[in-house]
Amino acid sequence: MSKCKFENLIDGYLLNRLSERDKAAFEEHYFNCSSCFQKLQERDLVIRIIKNHPEVLAVKESEARVPWLVALRKELAAWFSLRQLALAGITAVLALVIILTVIPRNQVKGPNFFLTDDETVRGSAITLISPVIDMNQIPSSFEWKKLGENVEYQISIFNHELLWKASTKENRITLPPEIKAKMTPGEKYSWQAKAFAPDGTLIAVSSRVQFKIAN
Amino acid sequence: MKTNKKEKDVQELTVRYRPIITFRVRKALGAQNTDCDDLVSEILSQVLEKIKSGEFRGESSLGTFVYTITSRRIIDYIREKTKVMKYAPEPAPYPDPQEILETREMSEKVQSALSRLKPRYREVLYLYYYQELSREEVAQRQNISVRKVSELVNYALKLIRKEMKI
Repeated sequence: MSKCKFENLIDGYLLNRLSERDKAAFEEHYFNCSSCFQKLQERDLVIRIIKNHPEVLAVKESEARVPWLVALRKELAAWFSLRQLALAGITAVLALVIILTVIPRNQVKGPNFFLTDDETVRGSAITLISPVIDMNQIPSSFEWKKLGENVEYQISIFNHELLWKASTKENRITLPPEIKAKMTPGEKYSWQAKAFAPDGTLIAVSSRVQFKIAN
Repeated sequence: MKTNKKEKDVQELTVRYRPIITFRVRKALGAQNTDCDDLVSEILSQVLEKIKSGEFRGESSLGTFVYTITSRRIIDYIREKTKVMKYAPEPAPYPDPQEILETREMSEKVQSALSRLKPRYREVLYLYYYQELSREEVAQRQNISVRKVSELVNYALKLIRKEMKI
């Protein structure tokens, strides 16, 4: 139902706030518009009751709002309109949804693997690329699959015991000549890579791969 | 048949316009004025007379025609009264028992609806209708926007209207 444009004049008419011209126009209107006249009668009754019984509008002490809540509401109302507050509310809900759903997926996974006594790797692992099979000669570098940015890898080479250990942020490391000199053809060696997050947390480990250098 | 139709038209006209003329007369002269009812009856008679004599030619709406007659009669009455007032005091107002009976139920409904409104609505209605502050002044007093004042007043009136129709 569309609102009659004269409806806005009802209060002004009853509270004697209209100019003579508007008053006459509104009076002529309600002689012709039954909807406005009905609303005029209703409003007149409401105003008369308020004028004669203002006590019905008295706010009891027990109904008074908590002062800090009133202050907060006033403060918010002074800065934001109802629409802006609604928008802020929706934004907050959306942000919460993002925090609870999207962000955890992007987080670096914790070490969901473990090493047993015989060095078995379960869970997240680094894939070693080379060397993974027997070699014709002493390998000059070791290579593995990169996990992501800002990850530090620790490489260990063993024969019967730890032969060499070094760290790098690349997915490849060159064997220093002095270590290369210690390795001899016909011997069996093994190597392993471990990945660490910037805060030093161990995030992945490769299996320990064995290779033999041919004679 | 024709007479019956005319009677019906007169009846319809009276039913439709008596409350409107009464409202207008009371607004102009004050609800307690004892001459109101006589004046309303007189205006209605004038309207019917003029329609009968063909003075209403449909150049304006019937509502506007009735409004014009009502306004003129009110002005005449005020002129006459001003003269009379120089010599005689205003008669003591007295309440109309029938009217009290008719409006009592509705009045109770409105009072009940007003008292059950949330405090923030009651505060705004008190300032706006009882103290007759403007919407801007109410907004300033309550530290809210003018638009918010309108929203609160309109919503409160909507709730009261709902109660009145039950």
